[in-house]
Amino acid sequence: MSLLDLKDATKDYKLGKTVIVRALRGLDVHIEKGEIVAIMGPSGSGKSTLMHILGCVDTPTAGEASIEGTQIKSLSERQLVALRGRKIGFVFQTFNLMQTLSAQQNVELPMIFQGIKKKERAQRALDLLTKVGLERRAHHRPNELSGGERQRVAIARALANDPDILLADEPTGNLDSESGGTILELLKRMSTEYGKTVIIVTHDPDAAAIATRTIRLHDGRVVEEVRNA
Amino acid sequence: MLKDFFMLAARSITHRKMRSWLTVIGVFIGITAVVALISIGLGLDQTIKQQVAGVFGVDTFVLVPKGSFGPQRHTGTSAEEYALDLQYLKSIPGVKVAAAVRQRTGFVQGPTKADGTSTQGFLPVMGLSTELMNEFESFTGKLAVQPGGRLFVAGDVDVAVLGTDTAKRLGAKVGDSILVAGDDKKELTLTVVGIMKPSDEGTSSKTNRGFSAGMSPGQNKDTIYVPYDTMSLLWGKANDVLVTLVRTQPGADVNKVADLVEKDLRARGSEISAITYSDVSDAIGTMTSTVSAFLAGIAGIALLVGGVGVMNTMFTSVLERTKEIGVMKAVGAKNSHILTIFLIESGLMGLVGGVVGTLLGLGLSAVASTFIGRFFGVHMAVVASPSLILITLAGSFSLGAFAGLWPAWRASRLPVVDALRYE
Ligand SMILES: Nc1ncnc2c1ncn2[C@@H]1O[C@H](COP(=O)(O)OP(=O)(O)OP(=O)(O)O)[C@@H](O)[C@H]1O
Ligand SMILES: [Mg+2]
Repeated sequence: MSLLDLKDATKDYKLGKTVIVRALRGLDVHIEKGEIVAIMGPSGSGKSTLMHILGCVDTPTAGEASIEGTQIKSLSERQLVALRGRKIGFVFQTFNLMQTLSAQQNVELPMIFQGIKKKERAQRALDLLTKVGLERRAHHRPNELSGGERQRVAIARALANDPDILLADEPTGNLDSESGGTILELLKRMSTEYGKTVIIVTHDPDAAAIATRTIRLHDGRVVEEVRNA
Repeated sequence: MLKDFFMLAARSITHRKMRSWLTVIGVFIGITAVVALISIGLGLDQTIKQQVAGVFGVDTFVLVPKGSFGPQRHTGTSAEEYALDLQYLKSIPGVKVAAAVRQRTGFVQGPTKADGTSTQGFLPVMGLSTELMNEFESFTGKLAVQPGGRLFVAGDVDVAVLGTDTAKRLGAKVGDSILVAGDDKKELTLTVVGIMKPSDEGTSSKTNRGFSAGMSPGQNKDTIYVPYDTMSLLWGKANDVLVTLVRTQPGADVNKVADLVEKDLRARGSEISAITYSDVSDAIGTMTSTVSAFLAGIAGIALLVGGVGVMNTMFTSVLERTKEIGVMKAVGAKNSHILTIFLIESGLMGLVGGVVGTLLGLGLSAVASTFIGRFFGVHMAVVASPSLILITLAGSFSLGAFAGLWPAWRASRLPVVDALRYE
C-alpha cells in the first residue's frame, strides 16, 4: 500500500451524446510518502486529469483510486471535503488566487473553511508568506503582484492547512528561469525538510530535475517511469 | 466563520461596485415605495382616528338611522330619520346626558313690519336639546349668537333662535315674535331670543371642522332653531330625529351602554344604530387598510422587480466566479459554505437596498404627510415605528437572500473539477 494508488484507472469525457474523449486509458500509478514526482508529457496527454484524480477532486471512470489504502469512491462527500481541506494542497496552473482578497487573505482562505480562529490564521498566513519570501507583500492584491509572486502566494495557500500532499500544476510554466528556480527550491524543501509528498505536473526539465521520480504520459498512458538518482 | 463569509461576500460586492449599485437601486425603489405607502397609510389612519377620538371622547356615542353607517350603507333602504323617546333614553342605565336633533319643514310667518306686511314661507325647523348646545361642543363646535341674544336654557318653550339668513329674510330681530305652524293646525308664536353668528366667525376650532360639519347649527344659516320639546307641541311625538348624542355615566363601558341602548330603543320601535368611537375607528381601519392593501400590492410589484434584479446579478456573479468557486472547493469549502457566502452576498445587497429604501421612504412619507396635512388643515402624523423599520430591514435582507437562493444553490452544486477547468 502506497500513499496514492491508481490501478488501471481510465477517464472518459463525453462530448455531446456520441463523442467520447479518452483522457486516461488505464493507468497504474503508485506514489509513496515523501516522494517528489514529476509528471511530464505533451499537451493533452492527461496530466491535469491525472493530477485532479490524485488530488481527490475528480474520480476515474473505471479502475481504482485510493489514498492510504482507502478507495476514494467509498468516501462520502463530507470525508472528501475534509480530505481536500486538510490533507491535500493544490497549486494551480493559472494561480487561481481570489482577486478580491489580499495575499494574506488568500492564504487564510483554506483555514477559514476549517474554522480556524482569526488570530491563529493571520499568524500562520504571515509565517507562510515569510517562508515564500513575501512577508512584505501580505496586503497586496494579486493584481499588484508579479507572476512569480502570485505563484508563491499560491504555494503558501496550498500549505495553509499543512497538507501531506502538495500538487502543483505547471508551477513554473509562466515564469522566467530565475523565479522558477525559487519556486522549485521551495517545493523541494517541502519534501526534504517537511516530509511532504510533492507531485509536480510540468514541461520544464529544471522542474523534473528536482524530482525523485518522473512519470511520462502519452495519450492517456504511462509510457516511461524514471527513478532519478 | 460567518464573519469571514460576510467579509468574502462584501468583498465580492464592492469589487463589482457599478453592478452592485444598480442592483441595489432596483431593490431600494421597491422598498422606498413600500415604506412610504405603509407609513403614509398608517399616518392617515392614526390621524383620522385621532380626529374622531377628539370628537367622541371616551364616553360618547351617536344614534343614527339604522343602516346609514357601515358597509350596508348604500343599500338604499335606509331611512334618514327615526322615532325616538328621548325621556326613555335618558332613563336607560348608564346614560348620563342625551341630546337629540329633530327636523321638519314648517310654515313660518315673520314679524309684522312697519307697513303692516310680513314675510312668510316654508322653512326648515330644527329642534335642539338644550344639552346639545352646551354638552357636546366637540360635535357642534362652539355655538354663539350675535351680541344681544342668547341660546336656549332649560325651561324655554316659546322661543326661537334664527340662522343668519333666516333672520335677514324674515326681517326679524331679537325680541320679535314669529309664528310657526305645525301639523293639524297647531300653531305657536315664538319669541326670537338670538340670532346665530355666522359659522366662520369664531365657531369651532379648525381641527374638527371637517368632522362636525353639518352637525353644527352655526352652519345652517337658513334654519329656525327651537327647543327640542317645542317640536312635540307642533308636530307631536318625535319620529323625525336626525341624530342623537349620548354621554355615558363616568366609569360605564361606552360600548356596553351603546349596545343596551340600541337593543332597548329598537324594541320600542326606533330604527337606530348606536355608533361608538370604536365603530367609527373600525370602519376607518377597514377603509384605510383596504387602501393600504391596494397600495402595498403595487409596491409589491416594484419589490418583485427588484428581487428579479438581484437574482439576475447573482446568476451573473456565479457564472463569473465559477473558477473561484472551484478554487474554494478545492481548498476545502463545503457546499454549504459556498451556499452561505452567496446567500449573504445577495442578502447584503437586499439589506443595503432596504436601508436606503427605508430612509428614502420615510423622507417621502414625511413630505407627503406635510402636503396632505396642509390640504386637509390637520397635523398629520409621520409614522416611523421601530417595528416597521426592523421588519423592512429584515424583509429586504430576506428578499435579497431569497432571490439569491437559486443562483447560490447552483453555485454550491458545481462539481469541483468542472469549476476549476472553467475559463
Ligand atoms: N471537461 C472535459 N471535457 C472533455 N474533454 C476534456 C475535459 N477535460 C479534459 N479533456 C480532454 O482530456 C484530455 C486530457 O486533458 P488534460 O487537461 O488532462 O491534458 P494536459 O496533459 O493537462 O494538457 P496541458 O499540458 O495542455 O495542460 C485532453 O484531450 C482534453 O481535451
Ligand atoms: Mg494541464
